[in-house]
Amino acid sequence: MYIILSVLYILPMNTLEKLQILSSAARYDASCASSGSKRESASAGFGNASQSGICHSWADDGRCISLLKILLSNDCRYDCAYCVNRSSHPVQRASFTAKEVVDLTLGFYRRNYIEGLFLSSAVMQSPDVTMERMVRVVEVLRREEQFGGYIHLKIIPGCSSELVRKAGLYADRVSVNIELPSQVSLQRLAPQKEKAAILEPMALVGREIASNLVERQMSRKAPRFAPAGQSTQMIIGASPENDFQILRLSQGLYKKMNLKRVYYSAYVPVSDDNRLPVLTSPPLLREHRLYQADWLLRFYGFSAEEILSDDLPFLDETFDPKTAWALRHPEFFPVEINRADYATLLRVPGIGVTSARRIIAARRFSAITPEGMKKIGVVMKRAKYFITSTERAFEKVDQNPLRIRQQLLLGEVAVVPPSRQLVLPGLYLS
Amino acid sequence: MKRYLYDGTSESLFSAISWILEEEAEPEKVLLTEQGLELFEEGFFIKANTGQAELLFQRLCQRAPDSAYTITLFMLAEKRGMESSLLRYVSLAFAHGDKVNGYLTHPAVRDIVSIAKRAGRELHRMKGLLRFEELQDGAYFAKMEPDHNLIQPLASWFRTRLRAQNWFLYDVKRRTAACWSNGMLQFGTIDKFYIPALSEDEKRVQLLWQTFFRTIALQDRKNPGLQKSNMPMKYWKYLTEMQT
Ligand code: SF4
Repeated sequence: MYIILSVLYILPMNTLEKLQILSSAARYDASCASSGSKRESASAGFGNASQSGICHSWADDGRCISLLKILLSNDCRYDCAYCVNRSSHPVQRASFTAKEVVDLTLGFYRRNYIEGLFLSSAVMQSPDVTMERMVRVVEVLRREEQFGGYIHLKIIPGCSSELVRKAGLYADRVSVNIELPSQVSLQRLAPQKEKAAILEPMALVGREIASNLVERQMSRKAPRFAPAGQSTQMIIGASPENDFQILRLSQGLYKKMNLKRVYYSAYVPVSDDNRLPVLTSPPLLREHRLYQADWLLRFYGFSAEEILSDDLPFLDETFDPKTAWALRHPEFFPVEINRADYATLLRVPGIGVTSARRIIAARRFSAITPEGMKKIGVVMKRAKYFITSTERAFEKVDQNPLRIRQQLLLGEVAVVPPSRQLVLPGLYLS
Repeated sequence: MKRYLYDGTSESLFSAISWILEEEAEPEKVLLTEQGLELFEEGFFIKANTGQAELLFQRLCQRAPDSAYTITLFMLAEKRGMESSLLRYVSLAFAHGDKVNGYLTHPAVRDIVSIAKRAGRELHRMKGLLRFEELQDGAYFAKMEPDHNLIQPLASWFRTRLRAQNWFLYDVKRRTAACWSNGMLQFGTIDKFYIPALSEDEKRVQLLWQTFFRTIALQDRKNPGLQKSNMPMKYWKYLTEMQT
């Protein structure tokens, strides 16, 4: 009797095993941004969310770790074709209790492992039940533990607007995943999810953030609503949409829904469901190019229609989107670095936000020569084909677009698709 | 070239700069070096004058706050032999205000700004990479060996972030320590050091973190090169997740 009892006693899964399951289930979520929020906790509490975003470690895949990124549960009722946690997929299931998540977060934060928590979840009994449990976790963290660190909370599509509001009051950032770039694909691959259930909370959050800003202008004491804004994520390569459709969607989300960021996540083949394309590996280069194009939308003053068109619906594999644009627009170049304004400088391939600012700061003192560009730390490898300095071309480069294309290609070792280690059969036999 | 000497302390350095800016018509034409580096050295020795040094810094904070911050970061680098560059930088900062940091074509500005930038980068990095361990008495303890002398700015960072717990920072190379205990921050040096006993829970939490660290990586996207360039190996010694 005693023996049976002790066996029963160790049967429930411990926190370590759950952490293994629920962190590996969360890792395909691309968002690691912890910046954009400044939260000072009450003097009795502890922690602050910093503006600049701090990485606490870098994983073996080279990605920044800044948040404890986990699912509350991977025990899903839904059956989305592209997801490892879909109900028809035989994986080990686990669910954290609220206390387990709270203890992990606090234990990690006190040791400076993390900036805070990123909590998502599979759909348990219902969207409302799931969201309620997630909100409970952050409520304990904020209210009972006075936790002032960063919190990113996923909104479960289909939950009540009351829960969405509560989530926004406790979290720094909330996000609703848009999942797939079109409604048709959503219907095909995630039949239990409705477009409305995704867009409604997104719009609600957008409105709440906007009205909260007004309230906070009138009274600094008004509670903050998702001060780090909202983001979303979509899966790339599981459905047939082209890059032009995707970029236009993102552009609309930035403009209409007031989103802070759209994350793109290359589809990792997890099932042989015949609704899904057969991929040998995740489309990483495509994901990378989309992120670059997204930067052009957010920080460089480009529109989706400038980057792509119906005749040219996919991003160039060989060149980054800005270089590709520059090669199509020889009439824009060369740019004179001692006169061009900030927006024009930003359009030069190889000149980013930092370099453009440095050029403008330095030319206040004297005209910048080619040597001067090196001194202020602007990398000339690519830019030199597109600029002049006091009307002199750089290093006498030819500015014929075709030549430039060739020259660039010669120097282009860095952008070959991220390579994959090939394992030759038989190599490990002997 | 006329040469000035100072005694190696930062008070004396700023006193000398303040003196030169007032007395010399062309401060960019004089040299400023530490005393005692050569056997027969010639030059005017300027004694430390704390009041004057502080006054100079206050004036700079008003005239060019960004430059004052740049100099604070520069001082964390504990660089020797760059006093003349610093002198020129300060004089340019008074002349141009905060715009001076953009004057990167000037060698002195470039020297000071690039060293300050490196210090700032390590400071930012250490805010993330510092690891605390829980001790038996419930206080937390972190060891580090940064290239720059970061203990002051790091301590004031953690004083807000981890204000609800008592903690120590220890710079192993410089043998300096900071201690936050019951709402008081103190600095000191440590001559003898013994390794305090860890709390009972500590190993369990470390194991949880190591597990999380390993599972969060996408196995088919391993990229040790990128990992090391973001997180150079010199920092691994004190990283909990790298001790397995
Ligand atoms: S609802 Fe979420 S967790 Fe569940 S199968 Fe769909 S994508 Fe996966």
